Amino acid sequence: MSTEHEEDLRLLRDSVSTLLDRAGGVARARRVRDEGKGRDNDVWRELAEAGVLGVATPENAGGLGMGLSAAGVIAEEVGRVIAPEPVVPTLAMAIGLLHRTCPDVPVLAALIAGETTLAVAWQERDLRGVSETIDCRFVGGKLTGSKDWIMGHADGAPLLVIAKMDDGLALVQVAGDAKGVTAKSARQSDGSAQYSISFAATPASVLAEGPLVAAALSEAVADATALTAAELLGLSGAALELTLEYIKTREQFDKPIGSFQVIQHRAVDMKIMQEIAEAAVREALTVMDNAATPLVRLRQASRAKARACTAAQQITRESIQLHGAVGYTDEFDVGLLLNRALVLSAWLGDAAYHRRRWLEIRDTEEAAQ
Amino acid sequence: MTDWNALSDDEFRAEVRGFFEAEYPEELRHLPHRPKFAEIQHWHVKLHAKGWVAPAWPTEFGGMGLEAAKLLIYYEEQQRYGVNRGRDMGIQMVGPLIIKFGTQEQKDHWLPRILTCENIWCQGYSEPGAGSDLANLRTSAAIDGDDFVINGQKTWTTMAHDATHIFMLVRTNQNTERKQQGISFILAQMDQPGVEVRTITTLAGETEFCEVFFDDARTPRANLVGEIDKGWSMAKALLSFERIFIGNPGLAQNALAQLETFAKGRGAFDDAVFRDRFAEVALDVEDHAALYSRFADQLKRGETLGADVSMLKIWVTETYQRITELMIDVAGPDGSTLGPLQIGNIGVDVLASFYKARPSTIYGGSNEIQRNILSKAVLGL
Repeated sequence: MSTEHEEDLRLLRDSVSTLLDRAGGVARARRVRDEGKGRDNDVWRELAEAGVLGVATPENAGGLGMGLSAAGVIAEEVGRVIAPEPVVPTLAMAIGLLHRTCPDVPVLAALIAGETTLAVAWQERDLRGVSETIDCRFVGGKLTGSKDWIMGHADGAPLLVIAKMDDGLALVQVAGDAKGVTAKSARQSDGSAQYSISFAATPASVLAEGPLVAAALSEAVADATALTAAELLGLSGAALELTLEYIKTREQFDKPIGSFQVIQHRAVDMKIMQEIAEAAVREALTVMDNAATPLVRLRQASRAKARACTAAQQITRESIQLHGAVGYTDEFDVGLLLNRALVLSAWLGDAAYHRRRWLEIRDTEEAAQ
Repeated sequence: MTDWNALSDDEFRAEVRGFFEAEYPEELRHLPHRPKFAEIQHWHVKLHAKGWVAPAWPTEFGGMGLEAAKLLIYYEEQQRYGVNRGRDMGIQMVGPLIIKFGTQEQKDHWLPRILTCENIWCQGYSEPGAGSDLANLRTSAAIDGDDFVINGQKTWTTMAHDATHIFMLVRTNQNTERKQQGISFILAQMDQPGVEVRTITTLAGETEFCEVFFDDARTPRANLVGEIDKGWSMAKALLSFERIFIGNPGLAQNALAQLETFAKGRGAFDDAVFRDRFAEVALDVEDHAALYSRFADQLKRGETLGADVSMLKIWVTETYQRITELMIDVAGPDGSTLGPLQIGNIGVDVLASFYKARPSTIYGGSNEIQRNILSKAVLGL
């Protein structure tokens, strides 16, 4: 990596972290959750003005073309203050799909400018969990089927939907109040809403179709997976920092609990876990940026998510333990981090899922040699 | 003479790899035990002829003069190909000590004999009461005319039964404020009446470690290295490069490759539980390597490494142990059988790997001591 690129990343990190801290840091996440708003529109606009949403979009599609490493820096900062806005779903899924399939549609520019948001509905549920196939059909301009685990959606907002056609997949756009749309939302551990939406002969407009949609979906999901790992990395770093501060100040038996060796060793293990995760996630993003085949990109995305989920879960859970009883109260911020880690771990596959996929890809690569 | 540092990293790596692959005797690859000098002498002769015995020493003393980044590559390749380090205590510890703190006479006398292995060295640091708490050492050296008279006991002295000389930390002053003071660095000959060596049998059934007893043993005062009573800080100064090297991914990577071969041969990859555990350790190794390169890059930029480099040692040794434990699980009912288990025409010595991994969390500063250091120096606890 060139030092010039490193310097760009440092400047980007500074500006995003300043913006998010000024907006209220972790306290803002609590406020947004308590107000039940889902997001803060002023912050969303500021993020867009800072160029955050188009950071990984090529310049010829209206973005900054800085790659996934830059998007990773943003995701880390978003994770550090557990910003409730759907930065990664918008940047990697909605924008990522559009710039790969139909870079000229006006809605792409509107998304990058923060004037609108579009959640992407692509996963479907079967008895065992996430279905391997897409059954939602798009025929004669009408959409029929149902979608699950839709992140970053709001009641009545428009959506992007991946649907099956006779010959391959289509990317279509649906108005939130269109005929035949039934939306159900479930409250997540962090207070956010996740949607399940079904369509019954719902009118939709096609943005892209053909083999490039499947390829773009796979790429966008890989990006979103790796960037969610970066978001988790920022989150676990914040949990570690809060906990270190706490054990240095909380006194029992007339001394800071951080002076006890058992606490010290556990804190060291959290620190090592965090550093390993940071090195792994950043390396994965760099490899993904430097071309690599689709298979390598998928493997790196799985590697990043497997590590980041493991680290964030261990660190946030250990953080609660080291805070003692107050860690179990809603009043302390460390709990917000644990609750957000649950959401980000569950989305797009947890550690066990990604370890499995990482090994399958490795097997495939080996067989091809 | 070749200026190795002028090569690119890739060129240098290819050079080292090519030499090992062409010249290193096949039967000595990945030796599961520490060899006596006689067993590897034919390799040492080749290495010496090439001028590669002492990669870290300055060229003026017969070394390769490698900078830290190149040195790391040299050791990475050595480990990757399973090249035995040989009897390298003289190279790794005594030579650098004498080069840094020794007199001209000491340099002229000792350094050439280290390179040829005319003198084979062992390290006398640990004692029964001084392990992790090394400064607690009690073996004494009292001045008597032109000699030091040494009394006490060293232990965990690796390969002392195959050494001609010992370099040791001894107490030369009993009346100091702190126990780190009053310690000196001296060199002594092993073959003398006051020195007795007894081997220690390890869990693996090997006798690589020894106890060394000193009963009025003698060494000339000229064999004091550096200032008297100031040995502690000198010993610490020697450890800076070792702190990253001891955390290098090599041992874990080799063990992982061995596990994969063994597990494939045993059909373990058909088992979902094994697959998950394998992926877990494999990613532990891969992600550690990412952190290791971050520190190695720091070295390459000429930066000094901080105390945080100890994270590498903790993670890699614990991962290494988990890999060898997994290998035993895969072996199932053969998991207690000594010696190689056959996988086709390859023998995999599962227990030898398991045993080899055990002390890795103890030596080089136990992982508990490393955690103490990180807690204080890095986390500020």
